[in-house]
Amino acid sequence: MTYWRAAGLNYIQYSNIAARTLRRALKTEFRADAEKREESFIRITPWKDGKPIKTSSPSSSA
Amino acid sequence: MFSKTALLVPQCMQQQTRNMATLKAISIRLKSVKNIQKITQSMKMVSAAKYTRAERELKAAKPIGAGASAFYSKAEVTTPEGTESPKELLIAVTSDRGLCGAVHTSVARWIRNELQTKGDKVLVITIGDKSRAILQRLYGNNIILAANEVGRRPPTFLDASKVAQETSKYNFTSGKIIYNKFKSVVSYTTSDLPIFSLASVTAAPKLGVYDSLDADVIQSYLEFSMAAMLYYAMKEGACSEQSSRMTSMDNASKNAGEMIEKLTLTFNRTRQAVITRELIEIISGASAL
Repeated sequence: MTYWRAAGLNYIQYSNIAARTLRRALKTEFRADAEKREESFIRITPWKDGKPIKTSSPSSSA
Repeated sequence: MFSKTALLVPQCMQQQTRNMATLKAISIRLKSVKNIQKITQSMKMVSAAKYTRAERELKAAKPIGAGASAFYSKAEVTTPEGTESPKELLIAVTSDRGLCGAVHTSVARWIRNELQTKGDKVLVITIGDKSRAILQRLYGNNIILAANEVGRRPPTFLDASKVAQETSKYNFTSGKIIYNKFKSVVSYTTSDLPIFSLASVTAAPKLGVYDSLDADVIQSYLEFSMAAMLYYAMKEGACSEQSSRMTSMDNASKNAGEMIEKLTLTFNRTRQAVITRELIEIISGASAL
């Protein structure tokens, strides 16, 4: 059991945090381009019985 | 007296629709078709620009998808037979935007065929409003997650990982990602990427070809490969959508051009007819004097 899994993260979240940190550490001329890859607008709604569930869980940003 | 005018009114209306008014109507129609053509032409330009970008990004994303699916074929992962209550997961990769030919409908049709035979044992995740809109009426009960706000921007890995994150909350024995595989500017095929559960990967017969695997590594890799394959499928889907929109907008502009040609011809003919009729009226009126 790795330390990040013990903290309740899974590998996707773990690697995305690592990627974000790496992007922040880039030099400014590369950083602007890299940070464009960090945005995400997708919205996910859980569905049940053919209808969206109103109280949508806070979209877990990885 | 009144009955006579009542009889006359429809007759004179008919006359109008046949001649004078049509000139006006045709010119209005002509103008609107010209506007439509302008819109489709500019949409084509926009999607052509988006397409070149999507293709460039797809090239970069291809190894990601190939690597993820190579693992499953090398290790010969199959879904274990004879599990009680098998749950199949289907992920439809589409987008929110229409006017791009049959890209979304072909994905939805693929899933519909699957659902018709397998029924309620299948869970569906729809990425993009289009596949949700098509599937929700008949198979709304199968949908467990619906993602939207897709397709305005090129898909990012963060988008894919969010979907993968939500997907990991559901249990399934086997699954498929259904997406449009980009072949060339004018063609795509609707294909599927298999996804597997942890149980079926650990039971794979040739897992031994990979070195130093423990349960934790497999689980981490599975989580990552889910996001990677979704990312790849979304890139493929976005690229085929843009290319398909490009061709369909090109066709729409062409059709509008044809319509404009025909309408201009009828417009000119009608105008000529109106002029001739007026001349005849004037001349015959003059000769009657």
